[in-house]
Amino acid sequence: MANYILKPFISEPKLTVACPPYWHCNKTVTTIMRDFLLALIPAAVMASAQFGFAAARVMALAGAIAVLTEALCLKIMARDVSVDDYSALLTGLLFAFLLSPSAPWWLVTVGSSLSVLLGRVFFGGLGGSPLCAPLVAWAVCKISWPRAMDVDLSMLDSELVYPLGQLKYLGPEVVSHVNHINLLLGKQLGGLGSAQIIGIVLGGLYLILRKHIRPHIPLAFLAGMYITAWIHFLIDPTQYAGPIFHLLAGSAVYGAFFLATDYASSPVGHIPMILFGLIAGVLVIIIRAYSVHPDGVPFAILLANLLTPLLDRIRPKPFGGQKIDLLHP
Amino acid sequence: MRVSGAILVNFRRYPNFRLGAETDGLIRDIPVPDELHLPLDGHVPVVARGQKVNAGAEIAEHPALQEGTLHAPSAGKVLQVTDTHISLKTDGETGQTPTIDRPDIAQDEDPLQVLRKLGITIGGLNGSEFLILNGLNPEPGISVCDQLLRDHLDTVERGFLLLQKFVSPSETILAVSQDNKVGLTGARTKHLNPFYPGSLAPVLVKNILGRENLQNVTVVGVLQLYAIGRVMETRQPLTETIMTIGRGNYRVKIGTPVRSILHHVEQSVNTGDRVILGGPFQGRAVYSLDQGVDKNTYGIFVVPQGSYPPVRDTNCLNCGECVLHCPARILPNMIGRCVEFNLFEKTPRYGISACFECGLCGYYCPVRRPLLQYIRLAKKELAVRNKQLTPQLDMT
Repeated sequence: MANYILKPFISEPKLTVACPPYWHCNKTVTTIMRDFLLALIPAAVMASAQFGFAAARVMALAGAIAVLTEALCLKIMARDVSVDDYSALLTGLLFAFLLSPSAPWWLVTVGSSLSVLLGRVFFGGLGGSPLCAPLVAWAVCKISWPRAMDVDLSMLDSELVYPLGQLKYLGPEVVSHVNHINLLLGKQLGGLGSAQIIGIVLGGLYLILRKHIRPHIPLAFLAGMYITAWIHFLIDPTQYAGPIFHLLAGSAVYGAFFLATDYASSPVGHIPMILFGLIAGVLVIIIRAYSVHPDGVPFAILLANLLTPLLDRIRPKPFGGQKIDLLHP
Repeated sequence: MRVSGAILVNFRRYPNFRLGAETDGLIRDIPVPDELHLPLDGHVPVVARGQKVNAGAEIAEHPALQEGTLHAPSAGKVLQVTDTHISLKTDGETGQTPTIDRPDIAQDEDPLQVLRKLGITIGGLNGSEFLILNGLNPEPGISVCDQLLRDHLDTVERGFLLLQKFVSPSETILAVSQDNKVGLTGARTKHLNPFYPGSLAPVLVKNILGRENLQNVTVVGVLQLYAIGRVMETRQPLTETIMTIGRGNYRVKIGTPVRSILHHVEQSVNTGDRVILGGPFQGRAVYSLDQGVDKNTYGIFVVPQGSYPPVRDTNCLNCGECVLHCPARILPNMIGRCVEFNLFEKTPRYGISACFECGLCGYYCPVRRPLLQYIRLAKKELAVRNKQLTPQLDMT
């Protein structure tokens, strides 16, 4: 029947009607996520070279579990199964980068599925998470299974040391002789990918060049860390480590480029982004200096995430200078 | 410069924001087709089906006092009168009958109304301190303005001289792109970086006068000046428009169906393509090749199917690209969300009234939310609500 009706018009092209603009920058979720995955490759390769099969195993398992969890959830919710946009894979890998290469399979599985479930699905999927998804899972695991998540404890057979653990338990005197080049090359314990500093920096610069992230948050984050650590160091060098050590040890650079810049959980304006980065960076050093946690990055970013809605209210006046009351929306 | 940086890094298919296009340097005529479909935009037809009309005869009037009258571009017979258009069967005679016997419109008692009767839209042409002549091409890919300034400066100047009488500005500024060497006597030439959205009136005023306030400023485009000058020269009503199609500029009778134009320029269209009247950022997509062009159409674009990711009604990614690229510094992301839930009354809090609909939010949105459409819908809803609140006193 339908064919019969349409027949007289078959020679006529049927145009697509759309709303403007008709051009587009051609950046889609898929291309953005693919670039994020590309940006993770240097650190992933370095981690695999350093820890061998163990690291590759954790990354593969975390990525697969994240994609499976997302697909299952979307299926249950009768939504389009859009796991082919790589975003769930990215969430899983970002989580894996924070784990130790010796992490047991059940920890990887539980953590990776939680990062998708608790971090994303519960809040409406990609773009809805109020907190950085991999960090939510990391925090749950860290508090639930502190021994399994302890980098030092789980890697006793490694020749490498955990510099932040040394700083926490042995004092700054011990780490004052740590070679910064070694830290840069990832010769330290920490998250399997997050401690591969040079690889992470390369990936982060790639993301900035491709304009997927803006330099505001990473730079402000690192500046906040540097300034706070420097002030502490000036006050008492025998009690606090120097700023360069803090930047190169643990997951500071990883947090600055990959976690704090998470789209949904970070603010969008220029000034809010800078403030967000500064606050997170300052919190990292405060946590490292005064809390029981050796690496303050995950908790610092989670805390700063909570400030995002507040920071987003700092807005320039719209064109024409009319007053807008964002405080009472 | 943001845009050139984007091209350097994203060397794939990053469209240029440069206003203007490469041209072959000619304005050619597109022949009058057998049938014309003159679109009505609030006009009230004054002809009936079957009626014969002369070239230049009034066929529809606009109830608003500033909108131009619609005239028959060619002699012929009225085929159809609907709410959206008047169809005309042309009889091949395009010889026009002069409709003004006065030698000079400028000498008339009410020149603005004479212009309106001749098909010129006169909204906004009132007295101001500053008169800005916008010589920038309105959108990327359009080269009409450069072409008119180069080839028909005398006509543009004629329009400008008349306009000076209504606006009587203390200062006149001609805004042109950096590489354009033209000038008009009586106007200071200001060279600007020709990048979109610099051609839009608010951005233009900001770039020239350094303020974000359009009060006491009249911005008139070169296309409008040319239309006024042309009407004065020919002493016939405005029944044509100049538009860019690909690398060429064409003089087209209004009402010419898109089909005839595309056929003439040998541009093929396939199912699923988009055909755009106007520019790539603000134009309108036609639903049928029979649709005719109107007086304000300055370009035709064919966007082949699959050139760009399709617009979808998906959830926001919260990436903030729309906010960071918005020249009006508003929050298109929040406005879009409010509109999705019919919370139109909340949109002013996110600055909707400052929006000048450049379309950059939709251009940058990675999930292709129809942000500009949401904003337009909200503006329309707000206008309707405001109208219901304030009783309308006169309906002219």
